[in-house]
Amino acid sequence: MDRNNLIKWLKEPKKMGNKYSLWAVYFSTACGVIEVPPVLTSRWDAERFGVIPVATPRQANLFLITGYVTTKTLKAIIRTYEQMAEPKYTIGFGSCPINGGMYWDSYNTIKHLDKFIPVDGWIAGCMPRPEAIFIGVTKLWGMIDKGLATGYIRYREHYDYYRGNQERLFGSMEWPPLYSLKEGTHDE
Amino acid sequence: MNDMVDLLKSIFKGTDARTLGENRLSVTTPGESVLAVLDYLKASGFYQLKSISCVDWIDDNEFELVYHVASLERPLHIMVKTRIDRDKPVFPTAMSIFKNAGIFEREMHELFGVMFEGNPDLNPLFLDNWKDIPPFRKDFDMRKYVKDTYDSIPSFEEYKWQKEN
Repeated sequence: MDRNNLIKWLKEPKKMGNKYSLWAVYFSTACGVIEVPPVLTSRWDAERFGVIPVATPRQANLFLITGYVTTKTLKAIIRTYEQMAEPKYTIGFGSCPINGGMYWDSYNTIKHLDKFIPVDGWIAGCMPRPEAIFIGVTKLWGMIDKGLATGYIRYREHYDYYRGNQERLFGSMEWPPLYSLKEGTHDE
Repeated sequence: MNDMVDLLKSIFKGTDARTLGENRLSVTTPGESVLAVLDYLKASGFYQLKSISCVDWIDDNEFELVYHVASLERPLHIMVKTRIDRDKPVFPTAMSIFKNAGIFEREMHELFGVMFEGNPDLNPLFLDNWKDIPPFRKDFDMRKYVKDTYDSIPSFEEYKWQKEN
């Protein structure tokens, strides 16, 4: 442990704990799955950064969306995201979740992921190198430090917007709303 | 390979068979003898149905169904082609000959709107909440669909701005 961080640890232990134990959902949506295993295993060893894969979304708080998102995958993504415990952070990995990438005129992939679930950060590229995940993670540390990684709070506060967009795409949803659909009913 | 061409031509009336390069054979046949041709091919050792594909000939107002049949013993790939009416795309299922035709027919039903009579399961396979015409038809305007479905959803910034003003 860096001694310079000792003050931070004593001042805000919760924040520091969140920072250094980013447990990732091993849910790979598309071609980005090629990049994730070497990151998690010994070649690049993400455990140096506190990122480990976990078995279930209920234990995780980092969600990497790797690659294009079809409407069917989006359903699974929303379910996974809603199951995760707070605080939860989402990173869009690759150009496809950002604006559609090479699938910009495809009939079955969504173009902007952040219209359906909140995304804290993006890693651009097609595909990004595995090192880019670490750059993303370290940026996320900075964001957590400054209190900017508030995607999950945004999801709770503006749930009517996100749920509305999801329902607009899917027609009807198979599961009930996670939060109240009225605004400003959360408590924090 | 040439024996196959002559045999198919002589057995089935109105059937045209020709070789396409090495080890490839194209059989064009009217709709009513497709199942008979498939049955015959299966009986002569071509018991592997690799795929069913569909081509949209929008100028001729026809769909072309292509059955890809192959054998593991003989290095020959046979395509059985037939044209059906585009306005009323109904065709009998090939499930009685090749059981795995069901899933290919389900896909073609979803992407081209071809109705396969006798197939018990033609539920959508990939698409979710689809309301437009089948997406692989030539007259499907993909960019317009994308604009209407995905681009019309406001971004979070737009939503916030609308709420404040």
